[in-house]
Amino acid sequence: MTELLLHPQNLDLVYFCSLGVLFSCLVSFLPALHIYNVLGIFLVVVLGFEKAMTGMQLVALSTGMIVGYSILNTVPATYFGPGDESLSYYILPSAQWVALGRGYESVMLTGIGAMGGLIMLAAAAPVFLWILPGLKAITAPHIFWILGAVIAYMLLSEWPKGVAQSPSCWANFWEGWKFLLVGLATFFLTGLLGFIVMARTMVPLEFAFQSITPVFVGLFAIPWLITNLLNIGTIPPQHACKDIDLDWELAVRGVFGGFLGGFFAAFIPIVTAGVGGLMAGHATAQRDSRLFVLSFGTCKTVYYVGSFLLFFIPGLSLTRGGLAWIVTPMIATLTLKDYAVFVGLMLYATGLSFLLLGPFTRACIWLVETINYHLVSLVALIGTILLLYTYTGWGGLAITAVATGLGLLPVLFQARRMNLMGVLLLPVTVNMAGYGNDVLRLLGLL
Amino acid sequence: MKGFTHFISGIAVASFFPQAVHMASQEQSFILCLGGIFGILPDTLDFKFARYFHTSEFEVKPDPNALDAHQIAAVVAQSIEKANRDGRSSVQLHTMQLGANLWRSYTLGFDAKTQEVVVEIGPLVDTGQTPFVGTEPKEKAVARVKTSCTFFQEFDKKSNIAIMSGPCFEFIKRGENQVEIVFLPWHRTWSHSATLGLLIAVIVGAISYVVVPEGPYPELYTIPRWMLYPLIIFFGSMVHIIEDSTGFMGNNLFYPFTPDRTRGLGFMSAAEAIPNFFFVWTSVIAILYNLDRFRWAPEEFPAGITSPESFFFWFYAVPVAIMWYFFQRGKHEKEARRRPEETAPARVVDFDGPGEAERESDPSVL
Repeated sequence: MTELLLHPQNLDLVYFCSLGVLFSCLVSFLPALHIYNVLGIFLVVVLGFEKAMTGMQLVALSTGMIVGYSILNTVPATYFGPGDESLSYYILPSAQWVALGRGYESVMLTGIGAMGGLIMLAAAAPVFLWILPGLKAITAPHIFWILGAVIAYMLLSEWPKGVAQSPSCWANFWEGWKFLLVGLATFFLTGLLGFIVMARTMVPLEFAFQSITPVFVGLFAIPWLITNLLNIGTIPPQHACKDIDLDWELAVRGVFGGFLGGFFAAFIPIVTAGVGGLMAGHATAQRDSRLFVLSFGTCKTVYYVGSFLLFFIPGLSLTRGGLAWIVTPMIATLTLKDYAVFVGLMLYATGLSFLLLGPFTRACIWLVETINYHLVSLVALIGTILLLYTYTGWGGLAITAVATGLGLLPVLFQARRMNLMGVLLLPVTVNMAGYGNDVLRLLGLL
Repeated sequence: MKGFTHFISGIAVASFFPQAVHMASQEQSFILCLGGIFGILPDTLDFKFARYFHTSEFEVKPDPNALDAHQIAAVVAQSIEKANRDGRSSVQLHTMQLGANLWRSYTLGFDAKTQEVVVEIGPLVDTGQTPFVGTEPKEKAVARVKTSCTFFQEFDKKSNIAIMSGPCFEFIKRGENQVEIVFLPWHRTWSHSATLGLLIAVIVGAISYVVVPEGPYPELYTIPRWMLYPLIIFFGSMVHIIEDSTGFMGNNLFYPFTPDRTRGLGFMSAAEAIPNFFFVWTSVIAILYNLDRFRWAPEEFPAGITSPESFFFWFYAVPVAIMWYFFQRGKHEKEARRRPEETAPARVVDFDGPGEAERESDPSVL
């Protein structure tokens, strides 16, 4: 693989991959946007790179960006707010670490998890050639009910919160159930929004491929920025630790659990790292907070990069995630050599990104300690809205406004943010099961 | 076991019905999910319903402004005395919330050797149960209250009462001057019984008999289509009960014919990672194998699993052997850690730190 990668004719790929990693530092700062939408806008609309590059050069750039993003986005997410559901799953425990001045340690733990996950992904790459065609053949007719099972588990596994100390049983029952009801309402209302947005988009036609962006921004980004504006006081001084309390057993357990969750999310459409991480965390009975943070680093990285990797497996024809769709028109055929080059580039980008993680985190810490946090959040909020208006117009802003209302539900009522994924899970599952038109007819959209 | 373990085991059980796999792949039916839903249902019933309707004669509602460990221990001891006198009694312990993300923790233990209820008031903790060091109270922080009777319990652990809702204990008189301590008396009783599974299956069977039509390819259905629903529901809930029986707490299998929970087999703790993952992995392998062998038109579509022997060897036997190795190693390490503690003379109560189960985010492991 080294020979392949260092062959003079492939050195341009290393260059583009490095460029991708450096771009990812910048892109991960773009507040609160879903990774694939960010990359889609960046590559196709802003830079128009596909016109000036060969297919493999675009792949190298994308690989650098996705690997770099998946490792480095933890840093702005930790200090400025998460960009998507996959990140918001991690961000709540991470916020506790930041509150204790241990944000740097938390970021480094996710970085170790991410690196472990990508090494495991590379090690599993040859095995994928053997097992994935069979796995695809078995699961292909069953994806809709697997998604149904994911939904059922997500909803059933949310347990009552609240402090039930009233002498009245019914008062206690209500105390516990109000959180569950908000969770259920969030899931089904976002599902309804998903049906509407997918059937009648209000985004201008030329940006129809980004029609889900206003929804994601409203569900995840803006509520987080609003919360930052309302809630956060000052961030305590952050300690940049020199070593991390971690043993091999914990690292292996975290990487293994995270890999399972990330791979599940990468393989099954619509399932995100947050959902995959939740299921894998429960399957491997995770409890320790270090384990959670490390495992999450693995999970999200394997999800982001793994879904892109699936695209390169020769003969598998599995296109998962927006990035794979972006490069699809540029790649006519895929060979084993392309797959090997992708894995090599992925490992190279992993090393480079991990080396950047420390300085990048320290730079972010300097930023939050220097600049007024409320101001940063306000600028981010205004910037996001302006960006959204530029690309999606008033229609996009209208969708975002509705989505923001729904996105605030779990924030205000301490329910799971994961329920917001109903926006994709519900309509896609129902459509895959063949009942989509019935629902649209019921809603008067058909 | 974790909720996810029960859920996926329920789906695995459903996948053993070829007709259900056929309905899923050819008729867009969600029938396989039914196994998962009823697999997790017993815990759903307990933690989302039953817990709210259990009433206790005694309640411990400590005042965070006037902390007194003795007061807490005395109420618990009183409940034990009542059980010794009247046969049964229960006590509900409440938490102390001081702010949106701030709680006062305390622990409750039962020292069987000295017949004492032991309460220790601990530090302030956040909702993630991270303690704030140095916030332990200086006075009235530890109390031991002696009871007139002896007692025993399934788990010799102290309970850490810190966040959300506190635990409940029931005390049941067992013989002369002896009381059994039952942790969470509302858990794993009627909801974890074969009786309930059977009852739901019969009701669903009656409904499906009326509403489920014959459908295409009746010749494939050795079991009538309507009967699949109750069978999957029954076996889905039974697999939950069987899995829970491998732990310590057990179930009440034949409620209401049997009054109390019977002890589990004690092979493993429900919160342990490897046993949970063993069941999950077994289920995943079973699901994949069943989906493949029961695929539609096997003569036209090639199998995803070309060699079942090699599939089971590489994807089941090898991972299970690795799990077994780590499970045994963990067990030996735990025993080795316990040994010096057992010989330590000063240690009266076998406290092993805050019970892991109480810190669990997924209550279904309890």
